[in-house]
Amino acid sequence: MSDPDLALLALAFPLGAVFLVALLATLRCGKYAHLPTIGGFAMSAAVSVVMLVNLVTSPEAHPAIHTEPLTWFSAGLLNVSFTLTVDPLSAVMLTTVTFIATWIAIFSASYMHHDEGYARYFGIMSLFVFFMCLLVLANNFLVLLAGWEGVGLCSYLLVGYYYAKPSAAAAARKAFLVTRLGDVGFVLGIFVLWRVGGYHTDMTLLFEHIKNVPPSSGTMVAACLLLFCGAVGKSAQLPLYVWLPDAMEGPTPVSALIHAATMVTAGVYLLARCAPLFVLAPSVQMIVCVTGGLTAFLAAFIALTQTDLKRVLAYSTVSQLGFMFMALGTSGVVTPSLAVTAAIFHLFTHAFFKALLFLGSGSVMHAMGDVIDMRKFGGLRRVMPITHITFLCGCAALAGLPIFAGFWSKDQILDVLDHAGHHALRYQMVYFTVFVLSLLTAGMTAYYTFRAYFLTFWGETLIPPEAGHHAHESPRGMTIPLIVLAIGAVFAGLAVEPLTHGFSGFLARTPGLHSANEAYATRVNLAPTEHPHFNLTIAAAGTGVSLFGIAVAFVLFRSGKLAEVPSPLRPIHAMSQNKMYVDEVYYGAVVKPAELLANGSRQFDGFLDSLARLVSFLPRLMAAALRPLQNGLVQFYALGMILGLAVFVSFVVFKVSR
Amino acid sequence: MISVWHYLAVAAVLFALGLIGFLTRRNLITMFLSAELMLQGVVLNLLAFSRFHANLSGQAFALFVVTVAACEAGIAMALFIVLYRRNKSLDASVWQSNREAGVPSSVDADALPTVAAEGADDPKLQPAGAKPQEPARV
Amino acid sequence: MSLFAAMQTGNPLGQLATAVVLGALAIYWLLPKPRGRSIAIGTFAAIASAVVLVSWVVRRFGDPAPDLVGNILFWLFSAGAIGFGTIFVSQRNPGRGAIAFAFVILSVCGLFLLLAAPFLMAATIVIYAGAIIVTFLFVLMLSHADGPTDENDRTREPMLGSLAGFAFLGLVLFALYQSSPAAAIDTNEAEYVLPARPVSGEERAALLEIAEQLSEVTKLQDKDAILEKTKLMRDRIAEIVGVPPTSVDAVAVPSRRKSIPDRLALLTDPRSLATKKLGEEIRQMNVKAFNALENNLLSKANPSANDIQKSTEALPALREKLIYLAGRGELPARNVANIGYVLYSEYLLAVEMAGTILLVATIGTVAIATRKRISA
Repeated sequence: MSDPDLALLALAFPLGAVFLVALLATLRCGKYAHLPTIGGFAMSAAVSVVMLVNLVTSPEAHPAIHTEPLTWFSAGLLNVSFTLTVDPLSAVMLTTVTFIATWIAIFSASYMHHDEGYARYFGIMSLFVFFMCLLVLANNFLVLLAGWEGVGLCSYLLVGYYYAKPSAAAAARKAFLVTRLGDVGFVLGIFVLWRVGGYHTDMTLLFEHIKNVPPSSGTMVAACLLLFCGAVGKSAQLPLYVWLPDAMEGPTPVSALIHAATMVTAGVYLLARCAPLFVLAPSVQMIVCVTGGLTAFLAAFIALTQTDLKRVLAYSTVSQLGFMFMALGTSGVVTPSLAVTAAIFHLFTHAFFKALLFLGSGSVMHAMGDVIDMRKFGGLRRVMPITHITFLCGCAALAGLPIFAGFWSKDQILDVLDHAGHHALRYQMVYFTVFVLSLLTAGMTAYYTFRAYFLTFWGETLIPPEAGHHAHESPRGMTIPLIVLAIGAVFAGLAVEPLTHGFSGFLARTPGLHSANEAYATRVNLAPTEHPHFNLTIAAAGTGVSLFGIAVAFVLFRSGKLAEVPSPLRPIHAMSQNKMYVDEVYYGAVVKPAELLANGSRQFDGFLDSLARLVSFLPRLMAAALRPLQNGLVQFYALGMILGLAVFVSFVVFKVSR
Repeated sequence: MISVWHYLAVAAVLFALGLIGFLTRRNLITMFLSAELMLQGVVLNLLAFSRFHANLSGQAFALFVVTVAACEAGIAMALFIVLYRRNKSLDASVWQSNREAGVPSSVDADALPTVAAEGADDPKLQPAGAKPQEPARV
Repeated sequence: MSLFAAMQTGNPLGQLATAVVLGALAIYWLLPKPRGRSIAIGTFAAIASAVVLVSWVVRRFGDPAPDLVGNILFWLFSAGAIGFGTIFVSQRNPGRGAIAFAFVILSVCGLFLLLAAPFLMAATIVIYAGAIIVTFLFVLMLSHADGPTDENDRTREPMLGSLAGFAFLGLVLFALYQSSPAAAIDTNEAEYVLPARPVSGEERAALLEIAEQLSEVTKLQDKDAILEKTKLMRDRIAEIVGVPPTSVDAVAVPSRRKSIPDRLALLTDPRSLATKKLGEEIRQMNVKAFNALENNLLSKANPSANDIQKSTEALPALREKLIYLAGRGELPARNVANIGYVLYSEYLLAVEMAGTILLVATIGTVAIATRKRISA
C-alpha cells in the first residue's frame, strides 16, 4: 500500500470508529463504545508510524507525499481540492496525536466508567481525532480550516460534556466564542492569501506562487497577522487565552488530549506549516515572539498561586504554548528550520508530559471523589504510589530538569532565543528581553509545578470526605497509560534529539522548511545553520533557574509558609490569584458594552416590530370585513362556490365563446 | 323530432333545481336527495348525447354514475346516523363550529310559527254521574 | 309590458333572463321559511317562468311538430320531472318531498325510455326506488318531530340560493343556444359548434326512401321508366355522401350542410371512422353505378333486356349500403346486450373499479355507522 492510501487510512480509522460508536449507541450497546475508539486510534497510530518510518528511510532529500487532488468544490476562481500531504512535519505531528490519543482513550475507558454518556464521549473523541488528523494532513487551507473548525466543535462538545452543569455549559460557550474570534482572522487571512497567492488554496502551490511573485510587504504582514490571529485563538495566547482555563470543566482525559496535547497545539502547527510565509514578514515574527513571551510569563505568574490542580496545569499549558510561540517568533532571525524544530520539538515532548500530568491529576481526582482543590488533600504518595511516581516524572519534565524530555526541548528554545537576542538585525533588544522573560518563566514554571506536586503528594496524608473510604490507587486501565506516558516524558527527548540530532534533522527535511531556509538565506545572506548546537551556558542557566524554583517551592513547603504571603507581596499575590483580573477587565471592556449594544438593538427592534405591526394591521382591518364569510356553514360555502362558478361560466359564455 | 337541445334544457333545469335544493334546504336528507336530483340531470345529459351520437358510451357512463350514486347514498346515510346521534337533529346548520375565530355563530332571526298542539282546542266533556265509593277496607 | 316586449324582440338573452328571474322569484316564494312564504304567488311565478321558458326553448330549439306521440310524451315527462322537482325542493315535509322525488325519478325514467335507454330506465327505477324507500324509512325514523323544526321550516339564504341556481340555468341554456343550429341561423354562421351527429334524422329518412325506390327500380324492365325513376336519385345520394373529389362530373351540391364523410373528417373514434369509410364507399359506388346505368341505357336507342339487366345490376349493392348508412344514425337494438358488450369490452377496468368502490363504500358504511364504545 502506498503512502497516500496510508494517509487516507489514518483518516478513515477514527471516522469509522465514529460510525461504529454511533451504531453501538443505537443498538443500546453503549458500554462497548471504547472498543472501536481505542481500536481505531491504535490502527491510526500504527499507520502513522509506518508512514513515519517510510519518510525517515526515504532516500529523497525533502520527502513529501501528496494524495491525488480531488475537487471538493469550485466556484469561479475559487477552486478547492481535497489534498493530503505527508511530510516530516505532518508525520511527526500525526504520530504524536494518534499515539497520545490511543493511550488517553485507554485511560478514559476506566476513567469514564459508569458514566451515562459513555458512548457519546467516545463518539466525540473519535470525531475529534478524525478532525485533528484532517487538520494535520491537510495540504489545502480550506481543508485545514474544515479540520480546524471540526476540532473546535468537538472541543465545544467535550468541554460541555456535563451539559447539565451551568459552569460547564458556560465554559463550552466561552471556548467556542473566544476561539471564533481568532477564526475570523484565520479565514480572512486565507482570503488574503488566496488573493495574493495566485488564487490557490493549495498550500504547496500557494507558497510556490508567493515565492515566485512576492506580494508587497504590507500585504504579507496583514496576511501573516491574520493567520496568527487564528493561531492565537486556537492556541490560547494573549489576549484570547481566557477560554483554556475554563475549559477544564470537561472530563480530565479531554483536558489531557484536547486542551494540552493536541488541539491547542494546532496554532503552533499552523505557524510551522506557514513558516515560508512568516519568514517574509519579520515584524510579524517579532509580534509572535513577544506575544508568546508575554503569554508564557503571565500564565506562569497566574499559575503561581492557583489552588485548583487542573487550573495550575491549564495555565502551565498556556505558558508552555507561549514558549513554542517564542521559538516560532525567532524563525527568520535564526535559521527557520531551527526555530520551527525547537517549537515542534517542545510540542512533541510537551504532549507527553502534559498529557501525563493531566492524566495524573485525573487519577488523583478519581481517587479523591472529584475533588481537585489542592488544599483539601495531601500526602498522597503513600496512597497512590504509581500516580505519584509518574506525576513526579511529568513535573520534572515540565520543570526542565536535565535528562527529562522537557529539558532538551526547552533548551533548544532558550538557545534560539539567545541567538536571536544577540544576532537579530532588527528588534535585537526585544528578542533579548523575551529571552530574559523566558528564563524567568522557566524558574516560575519549576516553582509552581513543584508547589503543586508537594501540596498533592507530600506532607500529612489528607483525604477529603468526598473520597469516602475508597481512596486507593487507580485501576490498571489508568496506571498503564500513566506509566507509558511517564516513560515518554522521561526518555522522549533524550531518545530522539541530543545525541543524534535525529529529530531536528528529520524535521529540517520538510519541504516547506527547506524553502523557508532558502528564503532566509537569500534575505540575510547567510548560510542556514543545519543543526542546533548544545550550548552549555544556556543549559546551565535553564537548569539553574529551574532548580532555584524547585528549591524555593521545597523550602516554602517545608516551612509550611506556602499559604502565607508577606505583606509587601500581597497585591501581587492577589493579582496572581485573581488571574490578573483579566476576566473582569474583559467583562467590563467587552461583555458589558456588548450587553448595552444588545439592549439598544432590542429597543430598536421593538420599534421596528411596532412599525411592522402597524403594517400588518392593515390586512387585518381588511380581513375583518371578510371574516364573517367564514361562518362555518357548509351550505354557505357551497353558495359562494356556485356564485363564483357562475361568474366564471358567464365569462366563458359571454366573452370566450363569442 | 325532439332534438338533443330539448333534453339538455330539461337536464339543465333539473340540475338547477337540485342545486337550489342543495344550497337552501337545511334538512340533511333533503340536501342529499337534491344532490341526487342533480345527478339525474347529469345522467339525462349523458343519455341525450348517447342518443345523439349513436354511441353507447354515454349509457355506460350513466351506469357508472348510478353506481357512484349508490355508494354515495350508503355512506351519506351512515354519516347522517352518526351526526344525528351527536346532536339529535338533521339540521345542517347545527354544524358550524368550524368557523373563523371571533365570528359569532349564525342565529335564526325569526321565530318558527307555533302550531297548536293537537287536541288542545277539542271540546271536553264534563264527567257525569257519581263517583263510585270504594269499599272500606277492613 | 316589458315582459312581452322582451318576448317579442327576439332577443334570446332578454327572454331567457326574464324566465330565469321569474323562476328564481318563484322558488324564493315557494321555499319554506317562517315569514314571507307565499305558495300562490310562487306557483303563479313558476308557471309564468315555465311558459316563458318553454316558448324560448320552442323558439330557439325548434318546434317538434312532426312526431306527435313522441312530442307529447317528451313534454309530459319533462313537465312531470320539472314540476315534481319544484315541489320536492319547496316541500316543507321531507316525507312528502321524498315522494315528489320518486315522481321525479319516474318522469326522468320516461325520458330515458324516449332516449332509447330501456335498460337504464329499469335500473334507475329499481335502484332509486330501493334507495328512496330506504331514505324514506330513515326520514320517518329520524325526523318525526311534531311541530315546525329548524331543518324543515327554514332555508339558508333563499334569495341568493335560488338566484345562483337560476343564474346557472340561464348560463347553461344560453351556452346551449349558442351552440345550437338556431344560433347558427340567427347569426348566419354555417357551422355548428356542437359536434354533429353521424347521420341526422332527415338524412336517415331520405336514405331509407332512396333505398325503397332503388328496390323498385331493379324490378323495372322499361328503359324510360328506369331513367324516369333514377333521374334525381344520383344527386340526392351525392347530397348526403358527397361526390368523389377526383370525379370528372363532380357537381357542386348546393347545401347548407356538409356531407357525412366530411362532417366526420376530424373524428378518430372507430365508429366514426367506420361510418366515414362507409360514406366514402357509397360515394364511389354512387358514381360507378349510375355511370354504368347511363352507359348501358343511353348508348343504344333500343337496349335489349340483357342491357337493362346489366344496367341495374349494381343497384342492389348500393341499396344495401344505403340502408347500412341509415342505421348508423341510431343506437343499436338489443340495448342490454350491447351495453353489456360495451361495458365488458371497452370499460372493463372501469367496471372493476366501480365494483371495488361499491365494496369499499359498503365496508365504509358499516364502519361509520357502528356505534362506538366510548371507554372513558
